[in-house]
Amino acid sequence: MPGLGTWLAAFFTLCMLSFLYKDNPFFRLAESFFAGLSLGYYIGIVMNQTLKPNLVLPLIHDFQANWHLVFAAGLGVILYFRYIKRVAWVSRWALAVYVGYYVGVNMMQKLHGEVIPQVGDTMLSLSYHGIGTLWNLVMVIGVLSVLIYFYFSTEHKGVIGGISRIGIWFLMISFGAAFGYTVMGRVSLLIGRMVFLVNEWARPLIGLIT
Amino acid sequence: MKRQIPLLLTFLAGAIPTIAFFVPQKHVGLVSTTLDSWLIIVAGFALLLGVVNVVQMNTNKIKRQASGWPYAIVLLAGLAIMGFFGVAGAFDKFGGIATRPDGSSTPFDWLYKYGFLPLQGTMFALLAFFMASASYRAFRARNTEATILLIAALLVMFGRIPFGEMVSKWFPLATEWIMGKPNMAAQRGIMIGAALGAASMALRVILGIERSYLGLGKGE
Amino acid sequence: MQIDRRIIYLFVAIGTILPIIFVIGLPVSITPPVQMAFDRIENQLQKGDIALVSFDYGPSSAPENAPMADAILRHCFSKGIKVVVIALYPLGGLSEAVNEVNKVVAEFPELKYGVDYVNLGYKDGAQAAMKKMAENIHEVFPTDMNGTPLDELPIMKNIRTYRDMKLVVSLATGIIGEWWANLVNAQFGIPVIVGPTAVSAPKYYAYLEAKQMAGLLGGLKGASEYERLVVNSYPKLAEVYATPGLYTATKGMDVQSIVHLIMIAFIVFGNIVYFTSKRKPRKAS
Repeated sequence: MPGLGTWLAAFFTLCMLSFLYKDNPFFRLAESFFAGLSLGYYIGIVMNQTLKPNLVLPLIHDFQANWHLVFAAGLGVILYFRYIKRVAWVSRWALAVYVGYYVGVNMMQKLHGEVIPQVGDTMLSLSYHGIGTLWNLVMVIGVLSVLIYFYFSTEHKGVIGGISRIGIWFLMISFGAAFGYTVMGRVSLLIGRMVFLVNEWARPLIGLIT
Repeated sequence: MKRQIPLLLTFLAGAIPTIAFFVPQKHVGLVSTTLDSWLIIVAGFALLLGVVNVVQMNTNKIKRQASGWPYAIVLLAGLAIMGFFGVAGAFDKFGGIATRPDGSSTPFDWLYKYGFLPLQGTMFALLAFFMASASYRAFRARNTEATILLIAALLVMFGRIPFGEMVSKWFPLATEWIMGKPNMAAQRGIMIGAALGAASMALRVILGIERSYLGLGKGE
Repeated sequence: MQIDRRIIYLFVAIGTILPIIFVIGLPVSITPPVQMAFDRIENQLQKGDIALVSFDYGPSSAPENAPMADAILRHCFSKGIKVVVIALYPLGGLSEAVNEVNKVVAEFPELKYGVDYVNLGYKDGAQAAMKKMAENIHEVFPTDMNGTPLDELPIMKNIRTYRDMKLVVSLATGIIGEWWANLVNAQFGIPVIVGPTAVSAPKYYAYLEAKQMAGLLGGLKGASEYERLVVNSYPKLAEVYATPGLYTATKGMDVQSIVHLIMIAFIVFGNIVYFTSKRKPRKAS
């Protein structure tokens, strides 16, 4: 006999699937409960896994070595000042640090971790060495034509228009491949839920009835 | 003051990791890694900002008895239950938020397995149905580009399943070629363009040219 | 020709349920990106080496990423590779890590927590945490997920930075997998294998080609290929994967095949109807 948890999971699964027929109160109930659970989950993991071990316990056990974490806590608390009208402007300070840090990290990440290696790997040998030359040509033409397609500072006509067209074809192949993979991805998620419904809920239930 | 200080803080917070990247000097590295530690904590606080917002919105909805207000109660109930066990876990009550040493689930983990997981899993599983319906209705070979897209999609969908290989070994080979050559080239082009755009936007933010994230317009 | 969308949904639902009940057992062929990932662990890592496995996914992609995680963990444990588990995805990463590790570890009763594997739990900040781990992992994760200080765990005694590990494996939904490649591998040099969802997989081919990744497991197909590789190499795992009722990516590919064929049929049918309806007005004139 499926346990209470399995019954609950099956109930929620069927509530969500009922949307396929039409919008209904069961679906909306499940959707609202899901939204609440996800926010509650955030509270749990942030408190348990970040604030307690990285802030509270270091300050309690060794304040002398970790006093600087008070500033981090201050910044975190200041973020919430946005909800108090009189001091909402102070929350910009914390937001400025948060946004500034992540764009700074991102900038180097993009340039050093994406642009340079990807451009470097596109510098392929086009001298003849068998079928590999043809594939290298495909790669170089593909990358350059796509980059030219995305260059909107000049009108796409003449030679630029022609190369841009080739870029569009490469993009269409890529989007078609992405669509194929997306189908695979979405169907996988459905398989997961159906395996649960069939193997963990329906089969034990049918076994019990028969 | 209200404008200048945030812009200065953005500049410092953005410049420190950038300088540390180029200057492998002990004290510069120390400042940068201290900032890393701080931002782990600030990110935790930031993640919970949304909770306050949602609680505010839904309590207002209940007070005003706006359309759909009973569902707001359900939402807050879910938040309260999960949040309670999450906070209790932080105080080592109920065995924490993972599984207990004997393998049994804590209440937080139980709610995750039998509440959160099926709800989110099924929500995303619905997309498979919508995708099938949308593909039938909209996926047409209307012109050259759409035909290329359609052929590539069908080849990948067929080549990636075992049936494709049973029909002919060229299907999986063609799929792998599409993924590794033209798809890779296009994705690389997109990646380079997007990365350059993101890097230039980052520079604009650090230098204070772009200020919209602070709620400030261009002239402010 | 308009077909009620619920008819399409019914076909998809039947196409999903029937192969779950009547298992077909279709063969799975191996692709080079997955073979590369397998070879990296099988040939480049030795017994006692440390691998960092990051659970960067949640329930939204668990049916794809969980089989990958299971296969990678089973491979590592079968080879005697020590595993440090972390999670950087906020919405479910920790719980997925806990449940999958517990499931796999139960199959290896000889393993000891804190000696052969450890679960350090979840940390906010993703990129900040990744950067800081290059300096001192003990400051990012002062304790394991249950609150035990790292100094009390033998496995963590000699692990301070990425230099003390041989490999990072990220099972990822969304962008976190990319950060392991373009931040951690690019700036700190540690080899990275990523198991992304099928939706994200096309983008990762660019990283793989540029050697920013050591291997790629794309979606459920990638997971099934990796399962095939570990089953072929480790007979004990063949018994595990043959357990009745166990959900595996290989079984999932049976279902995947049927549903793909249904969707291909609908797309082709839709186009046939489109072209024939385009021709009809010309015939009338």
